[in-house]
Amino acid sequence: MKIERSYHLAIKDIKEIFSSISIYGPMIGVPLFFSIILPIMTFYVTIYAAPNIVSRITALPTAPSQIKHATSEMFLQYFAVNILGPIFLTMPILTASVIAADSFAGEKERKTSDALLATPISNSELLLGKVLASFIPTLILTLAVFLIYGGITNYFSMKTFGTYILPTTSWLLMIVSGPFLAIVTIGVMVLVSAKVRGIKEAQQVSTLLILPVLIIPFTSVLGIATLNVGFFEMLIFILIILDILILYASVRSFKKEGILG
Amino acid sequence: MHKIELTNAVKRFKKVVAVNNVNISIKNGINIILGPNGAGKSTLLKCIDGLYKLDSGFVRINGNDPYTNFDVHKYTSLLTDNYSLYDYLTVKDNIRFFGRLYGLKDSEIEQKSKKILKELDAYKYVNNRVYSLSRGTKQKIAFCRAIINDPEIVLLDEPTAFLDAGAAEQIRKSLDEIARKGIVLFVTQRIDEVTRFNSRLLVIKNGAIIKDANTDSIYTDIFKNSEIGVRLARPISAKKILNKNIVYINSQTPTYIKLKIRNFKDINSNVKMLIESGAYIASVDYAEPALEELYK
Repeated sequence: MKIERSYHLAIKDIKEIFSSISIYGPMIGVPLFFSIILPIMTFYVTIYAAPNIVSRITALPTAPSQIKHATSEMFLQYFAVNILGPIFLTMPILTASVIAADSFAGEKERKTSDALLATPISNSELLLGKVLASFIPTLILTLAVFLIYGGITNYFSMKTFGTYILPTTSWLLMIVSGPFLAIVTIGVMVLVSAKVRGIKEAQQVSTLLILPVLIIPFTSVLGIATLNVGFFEMLIFILIILDILILYASVRSFKKEGILG
Repeated sequence: MHKIELTNAVKRFKKVVAVNNVNISIKNGINIILGPNGAGKSTLLKCIDGLYKLDSGFVRINGNDPYTNFDVHKYTSLLTDNYSLYDYLTVKDNIRFFGRLYGLKDSEIEQKSKKILKELDAYKYVNNRVYSLSRGTKQKIAFCRAIINDPEIVLLDEPTAFLDAGAAEQIRKSLDEIARKGIVLFVTQRIDEVTRFNSRLLVIKNGAIIKDANTDSIYTDIFKNSEIGVRLARPISAKKILNKNIVYINSQTPTYIKLKIRNFKDINSNVKMLIESGAYIASVDYAEPALEELYK
C-alpha cells in the first residue's frame, strides 16, 4: 500500500470540493452562521427570558426546589452545553455527508471514476484517500464551529457574570465525540455509494443519521437523560464500536465497480 | 512483446449480456474493435482494463489479472468516451493528479504534459478549469492524461471522435508510435476511422466478436453490391456516359453520377469508363453504410 497515492487522492478531492462554491458555500457558511447566531440568541434568552420563566415556575406549588435557586448563569451553562452542544454535534454528520457524498457518489455521477480506477491505485489506497478527504475538513470545521460558539458564549458570560462558562468536561467530551460521528457518517456513505445513483440520493440517506443526534437535547429537556460526563463517555464508547463495525463493513463491501458511472 | 488474452469472457448487467463469450488474443500493434451503439465495445474495454469483474471467463494482461493486480495499470492506460476529467480543477491540476498516481515527479509531469499539449495545440488551456473547455479540447486533455505515464498498452474509446483534423492526425501519429513497442486497442463505431489504419479489425455485435480480420477487409464489406458517387469537375453530356451501371445522374449534363458496383474492383473500371468518355473526375465517394446493415 502506497500512502502517497491516498494522500494525492485526498488532496485532489479536497481541492475539488473547495473549487466549487456551490459545495463549500453552504457547507461552511451555514454552520458558521449558526455558530455565531445561536450563542447570541441563547445569551439573550437566558438573560432576559429565563428569570421570567423561573419566576412563573417557582410560583407553582409543585415547582421543584432546585429551580428556585436557578440563576441566569446556570441557565446559560445549561443551554450552551445541553441544547446548543447537541445541535452543533450534527455538524460533523452534515459536513462529512456532504463531502463523502461528493467524493464517492460524485465520482459515479460525474463519471470521473473510469480514469481513476485505471491508474495503479488499489482499493485500499482509494478508500483511505476518500475517507481522509471527507474526515480532515470535517474535523477542522467541527472544531472551528465549537470554538466559535464556545468563544462567543464565554465572551458574553465573562462580560455579564465575570466568569467563563466553557469548557466543561461534558462539552469537551462532546467535541471529542465529533470525529467519531464523522467516521460513522463516512462509513455509511461508503456503504451506500455502491447502491445510489448520485450525490443527492447519498445525502438523503446520510441525513437520517442526524435524527438520533437531534433527539439528544429533547432527552435532556424532558429529563430522560442527563448530558453529563458519563453520558458522553458512553456515547463515545458506542461510537467507537459503531466506527469499527461500519469501517470493517465498508472495507469488506467496497468494490471499485461501486463508484463506476 | 505484450499480450492481452480474453478467454470465454462474459459480463452481464442484470439480464443484458454486454460481453458475450469473447475469446481473443491481442498482441503488439494497432487493434481496432468496430461495432454499433450498444454492441458492448466500451464494456469490453473496461473489462480488459480490470474496471469490471467478469461474470465468467478471464482477462489476462501479460499473464496478470488486471482486476486484482493493480501493478498492471502502471504500464496500461484507458481513455473512455466521457474523458473522466475533474471539471472544477484546472487542466494542470487534472494532469498532475493522474501523473502523481503513476508515481511521476511534478517536474516530469509538467515537462511531458507541456510537450503533448503543445503538439495537440491545447497548452494554452493549461490553467483553465475543465468545465470551461469545448468537447474537443477536453478530449485532447484526456488523451494527454491517458499517455502521461508512457503506457505500453493503451485502451481507447473513440479517441478522435470530436477532434479537428489536425489534432486527430496527431493522435493517430502518437498511437502509431505507441504501437511500435506495445498494444494500442481502440473501439469505434466510425468506419471512416477504421479505414485510416492498416491493422487488425475485430467486429463486435451484441457483445460477441463476429469478425476477426484486417482493416482492408472493410472495403470488401462496404462495396459489396453497393453504389459509389462520382463528382465531375466539368459537366459532361449524358449521352456520352450512358452505361448500365449508372443509377442516377443529376441532369442531362451531369456533374454528379451514381454508379452501381458489385465490389471494390468495379470502382476502377467505372472510373476508367468515365475518363475514357471525356469526364474529369473530381472525387469518388461512397455512402458509409450503417454498421447494423453492414454486419447483419
